[in-house]
Amino acid sequence: MLPLSLLNTSQTHPILVELKNGETFNGHLVNCDNWMNLTLREVIQTSSDGDRFWRLTECYIRGNTIKYLRVPDEIIDMVKEDAAKQRVAGGRNSNRGGAGHNGGDQRGGHHSHQGGERGGRGGGRGGRGDYNKTGRGGYNNSGGDRGGRGGGMRGGRGGRGGANQA
Amino acid sequence: MDSFQIFTTSTSLVDSVDKKLLVVLRDGRKLIGILRSFDQFANLVLQDTIERIYVADTYGDIPRGIFIIRGENVVLLGEIDEEKEDESPLRQVPVEDVLQIQREEMEAKVKREKTKHRMLSDQGFSVDVAEFGELY
Repeated sequence: MLPLSLLNTSQTHPILVELKNGETFNGHLVNCDNWMNLTLREVIQTSSDGDRFWRLTECYIRGNTIKYLRVPDEIIDMVKEDAAKQRVAGGRNSNRGGAGHNGGDQRGGHHSHQGGERGGRGGGRGGRGDYNKTGRGGYNNSGGDRGGRGGGMRGGRGGRGGANQA
Repeated sequence: MDSFQIFTTSTSLVDSVDKKLLVVLRDGRKLIGILRSFDQFANLVLQDTIERIYVADTYGDIPRGIFIIRGENVVLLGEIDEEKEDESPLRQVPVEDVLQIQREEMEAKVKREKTKHRMLSDQGFSVDVAEFGELY
């Protein structure tokens, strides 16, 4: 599991943060983001020489000031549970857009954002379709483009897809 | 004869996952732990980590648990060969002794640096101050 995901899993748990300047912050992790910015609650701040202490009810730490974080050992076991849960949830969602998605409303003209609507498995391919506007209908009306099966852009089992101008 | 062609391929930490590594941080700390994961910034997750403090020909270990290290603070890391570890010429001692000696060494070093700084400034030199006890 990625380091930042591990950090997310340790929300609500006590952690220790050491900053680049050597100060340490012991508290409960409230929230974190992709830049490693953190909010902590019930914090004990210790100076870099270990001589001075402050108690803070809450604090915000900017990610780029962090040297490292220490988390409780139990987090690793929680991570394995989380990973298992996510795999189950992913399996249930995989049939999301599979059956009978008509792209029919995209006849001609501007094809905007086809990617998102094509359903679970097709997601990746749909995304590329945004930029390859060798569209269906609109400006390129070559006969060869017709035929649902050829539609690499359509992804998944996505219904009849695109603008087949029969 | 052997071919001298060198193949360059991209480097990755994936081969080091689940291995026991020594990680050196910019503040000079040496952490030994099992690498569990990493990301594009080389942020690391180390499990069962110990902090090893070296003094002369001895060292002391402090168990530390799970570390999430921000990648920019890492100087280097390397795989530990368990067999070669046993052959090490260094002796393990109780960590309290090592900490005591380390403190004394630190104080002596700070004093030396201060004198050096003063003498250089007096001669008109501008001296770089190491911020936040970072060695590298």
